[in-house]
Amino acid sequence: MPSWEDFKPFIITGLALGSVYAMSGVGMVVLYRATGVLNLAFGAVGAMGALIAWQLINHNGWAEGPAFVICVLFGGAVTLLYGALFGPPLSGRDPLIKAVATLGLALILLGIMSWVWSDKARSMILPSSNHGFEVSDVFVNYTQVIALGFGIVITIVTGLFLRFTNLGTAMRALANDREITATLGVPVRRVEAAAWLGSGLLAGASGLLLSNLVGLDATTLTFLVISSLAATLIGRLRSIPGTFLAAMGIGLVNALITPILSISQYRDMTPFVLATIALFLLSGRRGNALTGRAG
Amino acid sequence: MSATAETTAPEAPTTAKGGGGGRSWVPKLTAGERVRALIILGLLAIVLFLLPAILSGYWINVSTDTAIYSVVALGLGVLMGRTGLVSLGQIAVLALAGWVAARLCFATSLPFPVILLLSGLITMVIGTLIGLPALRLQGLYLALITLMLAGAIGVALRTTNFPNGGAGFLGHTESDRGNGTIRRPALAHADTAFFRYTVIVVAIMFLIALLHVRAKPGRAWAAIRQSEPAALAGGVNITLYKLWAFALASFLTGVAGGLLAARSGQLFTLQFPTQDSILLLAAVLMGGIYSFWGAIVAGALMRLLPALLDNWGLPADLLTILFGVGVLQVLLTAPQGIVYQFPRDMARLGRLIGGLFTRARGAPARERAG
Repeated sequence: MPSWEDFKPFIITGLALGSVYAMSGVGMVVLYRATGVLNLAFGAVGAMGALIAWQLINHNGWAEGPAFVICVLFGGAVTLLYGALFGPPLSGRDPLIKAVATLGLALILLGIMSWVWSDKARSMILPSSNHGFEVSDVFVNYTQVIALGFGIVITIVTGLFLRFTNLGTAMRALANDREITATLGVPVRRVEAAAWLGSGLLAGASGLLLSNLVGLDATTLTFLVISSLAATLIGRLRSIPGTFLAAMGIGLVNALITPILSISQYRDMTPFVLATIALFLLSGRRGNALTGRAG
Repeated sequence: MSATAETTAPEAPTTAKGGGGGRSWVPKLTAGERVRALIILGLLAIVLFLLPAILSGYWINVSTDTAIYSVVALGLGVLMGRTGLVSLGQIAVLALAGWVAARLCFATSLPFPVILLLSGLITMVIGTLIGLPALRLQGLYLALITLMLAGAIGVALRTTNFPNGGAGFLGHTESDRGNGTIRRPALAHADTAFFRYTVIVVAIMFLIALLHVRAKPGRAWAAIRQSEPAALAGGVNITLYKLWAFALASFLTGVAGGLLAARSGQLFTLQFPTQDSILLLAAVLMGGIYSFWGAIVAGALMRLLPALLDNWGLPADLLTILFGVGVLQVLLTAPQGIVYQFPRDMARLGRLIGGLFTRARGAPARERAG
């Protein structure tokens, strides 16, 4: 059994990874609550944003700042466009159908990405990764700090936003019943568009951070969404604090297993195993809670 | 889905007849069905005897792959189209089946058909065990849990790798070529013979699925798909038949995995990338989930089309984009997929062209078009 010293460096890695999972998870939960769409293209959108930023920096000579802004904006734009085009015609369908439709978007983006940026290894280092400080012999770089800060801030802000603002209240109302909310005079399309945009911006931001923390590879980043999906599942696709805690837990467990050599190779199974156990426990306790409907 | 009622309708009379004569598993065929069966037998004969004669070795292998993947698509079709259970992890099940088949092959000296059957049965047990707790979940949650399990299987297989003649339970050696290949059936060593062998096994698999759909399980699945509460009220044993669907789908995928293992000789994790599960779902949706022909179309979309694109010098990534567009198009406009949409569109086109001709001759076009 490794000693405490072996585990120490992995705590911050785990927290940083967990908070990016939390950020993606919160983005997905907000969209799911407002529109009933579980956006499985979340990772693909972020990955493409990150690749565009990479292209702008390395081939078009852009400064890093504007390129990163473009990445986040791209996430927002693509998601909003998809929401505007395919949200309304699918709004009456089963949540499962809506989720499968976003897989269509994911495939389109994935195809474009592997076509334009073939599967070569490339890397993008955020400027904040080169600087850092030491906490009891462990080097902490600023990207990890930014990721952690972003994750926490976004979770809190989103939670407060849904609770206290008019738009947030409208989103929660939509989650309950779209028809009744519409009759009450809430501009449904506009509220949904806001949710798509917000979730898309989060997709862009988490794509940028993940490309730095994990690696800039289209397929990996696209399917990393499954890991954050595990967190949202533990949060039962509704609870924002639940998603945050689950994401942190997954990130921590995933990283802390690394020094335990006998199971180290299997550490990437963490999100799946935890989510599966959680789902079975939840479904056992409340038989009808998981019928796949929002609210 | 409004489409479901339409598609089950033509089958209703036959299933009623089949059930009428006691618990018969082989329903009596109507005249139309006898014609259809003859056409299918004719097509099968062409595939078995004509294709090997005109195709080169490369295309024979592509055709073998297409046949194998159409069985995988058939398994997903049974789950999704017949029973309404969406699985996003069928390729992971296929990889698992390939692992089982490879393991059996290196550990024993059983004849190939036995290995095929065993890999089908073992995968069936595993698939049913996965399905057992998943029965409590519905719709989106079921799809997501299959995605999670597929992810877990993927990570595990990437670590353990496929058996290639090494020692121990995992049976993987790091040496480049491994210690030997997964053997093929004694009477089908050459690629062409193995292609014929595969087609016959695949035909048997389709027949098994057809018998299920035409008999009591098929009716129970249709009831569950339409409305679970109604099926329950109608006295359908929902747990049993859902598990049955999982079992059948896993068995089909298991046999396909065994065939794939023998076809490739050695299996690698690269053959089962994560996106393939989603591509399979897309292909099955585009092919048509309510029809067995859809499964064959899906198999061709999965394996034949990439080879064709490659042959024409087009990047295979185009296909991924096409699949994405296809999913959206199917979900928005044509829930029944290509097998229904294509003949309908062709008929419409035919009427349009026919209408043009009759109008040119001055005849009233409206009667024809109606």
